[in-house]
Order: sequence, then C-alpha cells, then structure tokens
Amino acid sequence: MSLIESLSANLPKLLDGLETTLLLTGLGAALAAVFSPGLALIRLGGPTPAKVLLRIYISFMRGTPLLAQLFLVFYGSGQFRAELTALGLWSFFRDPFNCAVLVFVLNSCAYQTEILRGGLQAVPPGEIEAARAIGMTRAQVLARVTFPHAYRIAWPALGNEVILLMKASALASIVTVFDLMGRTRQIFSRSFEFSVYFEAAALYLLITVVFVFLWRQIERRLTRPMRRTQGN
Amino acid sequence: MPPKTATDLVLSAQDIHKSFGAQEVLKGITLGARNHDVISILGTSGSGKSTFLRCLNCLEIPNSGSVAVHGEEIVFRNGRIGDQRQIERMRRHLGMVFQQFNLWTHRTALENVMEGPVQVKRMAKPEARDLAEALLARVGLADRMHHYPAMLSGGQQQRVAIARALAMEPDVILFDEPTSALDPELVGEVLKVMQDLAAEGRTMIVVTHEMAFARDVSTEVVFLNEGRIAEQGPPDKLFDHPETEVFARFISKTRRDIA
Ligand SMILES: Nc1ncnc2c1ncn2[C@@H]1O[C@H](COP(=O)(O)OP(=O)(O)OP(=O)(O)O)[C@@H](O)[C@H]1O
Ligand SMILES: [Mg+2]
Repeated sequence: MSLIESLSANLPKLLDGLETTLLLTGLGAALAAVFSPGLALIRLGGPTPAKVLLRIYISFMRGTPLLAQLFLVFYGSGQFRAELTALGLWSFFRDPFNCAVLVFVLNSCAYQTEILRGGLQAVPPGEIEAARAIGMTRAQVLARVTFPHAYRIAWPALGNEVILLMKASALASIVTVFDLMGRTRQIFSRSFEFSVYFEAAALYLLITVVFVFLWRQIERRLTRPMRRTQGN
Repeated sequence: MPPKTATDLVLSAQDIHKSFGAQEVLKGITLGARNHDVISILGTSGSGKSTFLRCLNCLEIPNSGSVAVHGEEIVFRNGRIGDQRQIERMRRHLGMVFQQFNLWTHRTALENVMEGPVQVKRMAKPEARDLAEALLARVGLADRMHHYPAMLSGGQQQRVAIARALAMEPDVILFDEPTSALDPELVGEVLKVMQDLAAEGRTMIVVTHEMAFARDVSTEVVFLNEGRIAEQGPPDKLFDHPETEVFARFISKTRRDIA
C-alpha cells in the first residue's frame, strides 16, 4: 500500500483523534489561563498560608511526571468510586477524557502561574506608580497597566507552554483517551502499519507550525509598541 | 508676600515624618501651597526631596503627619494606609510628573493622556480624545499623538507626561526632577512648557536642580537639608542673602557647576 493510500484510509480516524487532541490541549490551556492571573497575584502578594500552599502545589505539578499525575487521577478516582458517587462526581471521573482535562488544567496552571509571576515582576514599577498617582483603584492599575504589560512579557513563554502541553497530551492515550496518539496506536495495533506513526507525527508537526505562526502574529501586535521601529 | 492662612492653601503638609527602616529621611516637614504658587524644592542628593514629594500623593506613606488637599485631610499614624479610597480621591487632585517620565509603554501618546480622564474621571471617550488632542497640541506634540513612547525622544516623552498630568485638571502638579533624565539639548523644551504653566497660574511644586528655573520662575524656594527645611522664602531673597551656611555652600557649588 502506498503512503498516500494508507494516509487516505487512516485519515478520518486520525482527524477524529486530532480533534480530541486539540480539544484536550485547548481546554486544558484555556481553563488554566482563567486561574493563573489570580494565582500569580497570590504568589506575589497573597497571605502567607495561601502562598505556601501555592508553592507546594506548583512544586508538585512541576516536579512530578505528567504521566504519574494522569495515573493518580485516573486510577486514583477509581479507588474512591463510592465517595465520588455519593458526591455526584463519579460521572465526571468515569470518563478518561475528563480526567485528562483535569490533570492538564492543574498541570498547565502551575506552569502558567510561574510564567505570569515572572511577567508581573518584570513590569516597570514606574508605570505602576504613574497609574496609582493618577488616582486609579488597585483593580484599575492591574487591569489597565500591570497585566497588559505582564502578558506582553510572558507571551512567548506562554506559547511555549501550550506547545509542550499539546505534545504531552499524547500521554492521555495511555489512560484510554482516543486523541491523535490514541487513534494512531489503535490503527497500528490492527494493521501493524508502521507508517501511521509518520502520519501522526506529520499532523502533530502541522498543528505546532500553525500554532507557532498564529502565536507569533499576536506577539508582533502585542509588542509593536515596545519596538523602536514600528513597521508591520 | 502675605502670610499664608489655612483657608488659602490648596495643598498642605503638616509635620511629615518618614523613615525607611532605622533611617529617618524626613524629620518633620511642614509646607503649604496656595493657588498659583510655584514652589521649587532644592537640596543635595539624598536630602529627602523625592521622598517628601511622594508623601504628598501617598506614593510613600508617611509615618506621621498629615496632608490636606482641597480641604480634605489625611492624617497618618504609624505609617499605615488609612482609607485607600480617600487616598485615591486625593490623588485625583494632584498631578505628578516623574524624572523617568513613566509613560505607559503599551499606549500611544494620545492614549496615555486619555487614560486618566476615561478610567478615573469616567469621561466619555470622544470628549477625552478632544481634551487629549488639545493638550498634546499645547505641549507641541500635535504631530506625535499616535506615536508610542518608544518612538519619542526623552523631551517629547516628558511633555506627554505633563499633558497626561494636565488632563486630570489637577489643583497642584508635582514634578520630581522633570529634566534630570534628559539630554542637555532637550531640557529647554520641557522647561519652556513648565514656564508656560507657571505663567498660566498653575500651582506647582517642583523638585529641581535647575537653578535658573528656581530663581526666575518660582514664587517660593525651599531648601531641604538632611530631612528638614533649612531655608525657605522668595527666590530673590534666598539666593542673594542665604541665611545658612549649607545653603550658601549649595548655591556656590551649583554656580560652579554651571560655570
Ligand atoms: N524606598 C526606599 N527604601 C529605603 N530607603 C530609601 C527609599 N527611598 C529613599 N530612600 C533613602 O532616603 C533618602 C532620601 O532619598 P530621596 O530619594 O528622597 O532623596 P532626594 O533628595 O530625592 O535625592 P536625589 O537628588 O538623589 O533624587 C536616601 O538616603 C535614600 O537612600
Ligand atoms: Mg530624588
């Protein structure tokens, strides 16, 4: 069978997997992005107990393998089936996709919080003072000056984090999620066609390239004000 | 000069004390500004000029003393922030121009000037835009409105910063060495704008090393030394007949620097 024929035969399944991969990564990264700004603020200036808890959480998430975290939630939740059922949560944990999303949110949130913390610390203090001096409330200073600036600084690193998450999402196939990797393994186990792995790799590469391109476009726009030559 | 009475004062600071750790930087400073006053604050490096100015709008919280703006008084005890809302309200009456300009780098000149009126005063955007355009034109930047700060020279950035302060229609504008970060050839354009503001009758408190400005533009000069006011009065009197040894040395030294 030629590569083209094999690809066209596998493509529907692979695209179905690709959709799951994108959903898994997108949901994970986006939900993490909802929580990271607040957590980054606590990390910098919150009450001490909250700071300590946050540091423990971040160290755990960054210091243990993602696969171990996936197993912990996926198999761990099975151990507590009765309790989770009583709480009405079992239907959530029964679905491996949900478990994977939960782990990705928790994991990516730890990384994003740290990235954003760095961004916040790099905002020029003078710009914050100017905002305070003009009579802005604390919330206004954050919304109008601190975060817009911090995100511009953090943007490239955040994009990197999303790419890493996307590639790491292949691990979800191990807990029986049929993402791109899951579909690929399924096809291979039936046909022993090695080329399907190349096809999957090409698809991963494709989405990474497209993502990097889009992210760079936004980055250019965001950082245009900071460049001395302001073409494009 | 007629004596100042409490009711004349748009801004007054009473017995301001400020320490950083064990170091007492301000040791009881009392100063009042009436409408149309232009007060120059002089002093050697480290004498507490910036700290005092920053206490006036609570960028530093004094350990004790009080500041009254527009009839509203804030009393400081133990260096704690009392009512954050009150501080925010008070800051709306005070403009501030910084040595390093501190423009918001992600906003154009126009957006920098519009920001305060729109966000703080809740002015409608078209109205704020008109105001900002007029102010930028006044400081000579009609053709730079859509430039980002990175594209402007230091002198231009500082003029945007002045327009940004003016946009809030402050009762008093505080300047902290507004020309010290500028290349010598750019100092003039900023001083010119400040001189125009003084001529217009704006109330200003200016920390400066520009002796000519202190002497020719200000209505009152204050000399800070080691956290205290060592000398205070009309510029002619002070410069021609310094009363203290430190101030005499200070002027002769700056004269030498200029020469
Ligand atoms: N945030 C701070 N923390 C600790 N010490 C400070 C702080 N700000 C100022 N100081 C100290 O307070 C003293 C007065 O500083 P200040 O900046 O008010 O002086 P200045 O008169 O403005 O000097 P310059 O002419 O150099 O600007 C200095 O000894 C300085 O080191
Ligand atoms: Mg200073």
